[in-house]
Amino acid sequence: MNSWPGPENSWEGVDAYFTSADSEGTLIFWTLVVIAILIFVTWSGARHESDTSKNTKK
Amino acid sequence: MTLEELEVFVTTQANVGMEAYYWWCTALMITIHVGFLMYEVGASRFKNAVSSGVKNLLAFAFMIPTFWLFGWYIYLAFPGGFTPIDLEGYGTPWNVSMGPMLSDQATGVFWAAFTLFACTTASVFSGAVIERIRISAFVFLATVLGSVAWILGAAWGWHPDGWLVTQFGYHDVAAAGVVHMIAGWFAFGVVLNLGPRVGKYNSDGSMNELEGHDLRFSFVGLLMIIVGFFGFLGGCLIWAGADFGGWVNIYGAPATLSSFVFNTLMGLAGGMIGAFWMSKGNPFWMMSGGLAGIFSCASGLDVWYPGLAFVLGFVGGVIIIPANDFLHRVFKIDDPVGAISVHGVAGIWGVLAMGIFASGFPAAGDIPASSFSGQLVGCIVMFLVGFVPGYGLSFIMKMMDWLRVPDHVQEAGIDSAELGLRAHT
Repeated sequence: MNSWPGPENSWEGVDAYFTSADSEGTLIFWTLVVIAILIFVTWSGARHESDTSKNTKK
Repeated sequence: MTLEELEVFVTTQANVGMEAYYWWCTALMITIHVGFLMYEVGASRFKNAVSSGVKNLLAFAFMIPTFWLFGWYIYLAFPGGFTPIDLEGYGTPWNVSMGPMLSDQATGVFWAAFTLFACTTASVFSGAVIERIRISAFVFLATVLGSVAWILGAAWGWHPDGWLVTQFGYHDVAAAGVVHMIAGWFAFGVVLNLGPRVGKYNSDGSMNELEGHDLRFSFVGLLMIIVGFFGFLGGCLIWAGADFGGWVNIYGAPATLSSFVFNTLMGLAGGMIGAFWMSKGNPFWMMSGGLAGIFSCASGLDVWYPGLAFVLGFVGGVIIIPANDFLHRVFKIDDPVGAISVHGVAGIWGVLAMGIFASGFPAAGDIPASSFSGQLVGCIVMFLVGFVPGYGLSFIMKMMDWLRVPDHVQEAGIDSAELGLRAHT
């Protein structure tokens, strides 16, 4: 019950019902993607601020 | 209907009711952030109004994934101090516990409520640093506050197995220390390194009033914060459902929603009246006083006599104004919205008031009864959990030149320089 199309069309015995619930490696992968996005956006914002500071100097 | 079917029905309805309750508490808490955003946008000068709002939006957006990544885990794993309990992966983002499960209707809604508590700490911090903190630096510091520092304090002083609770009987049901002290004193630590806005202080040390650009925003924003706190405070109670037959406080002791609403409203009124008297009618201090009144009652929100809650709130509303003046005069800080005083100082008063007026109240299970010494220890710990990371990290960031908007950009205005926008025409 974690991929589409699944091996069975049934809710029998299902508990965790989200995508890739039975694949810890896949969950770790998506976790790392989330972390990478957060770090990248913060870094990118800081770079924009620094560039702005240089461009605003009289 | 058989007895077994009736039991299943009752349990199911209790679980669904519990989910719905925290869902709506979470929704109402978002109003806090609407309020902080409006308040801070209004309190900013025109040239920085948009960037103040962007900062609030980003704090909210970054807190959610980071609290999912590690905030909730910290709460579950660190009640004993700095050494994590072995939870066999439970609470980590790659564990099934952190996603939808048919057998678990509680984790998602509790995580959501705690995430909004974390967002609230970031918003408290946000007001103290407007108009001169780099947005990227703010996002990083807000994440540390909301998804690490605050929740570590909550693991120690809110979790029923937290060492402050089990060893000292620390009682802080609505987070005067756990949220407000930590956020307020974290902000103080950062503000010391961040410095004041350009133009706040003259060369002789005298202070200028840098007025916000739209008082209407600040008026409505402050009222929205008060509305949102009803979601926050409601989320501090545990819906014990079919297991215990009703409400319990965060430590598992009997409580009622009625006690919370009696004392929240009485504290709010006391704080507003106290600040009205002390400020000679300044409406912003009145509404900040209302908030401080709530925080003054927060530690013992489940046990106060409402008349006493009013008095505690009144004292809270009175003390925040001289406390704010004192912090500015002595430390030469710039806290445009008085956040350090309203949250940090009123939080101290709230935590200590529980020890002064409600010592000996029984707790659940083996938790010691409340005491002044327990509250004092908790107060010191909450101060340190907020101040130390706030000061330490911002000091390092200052050395890296990753904290303060340069003075020439402040003078030009952050909105036009960084965002290319104007708040309105």
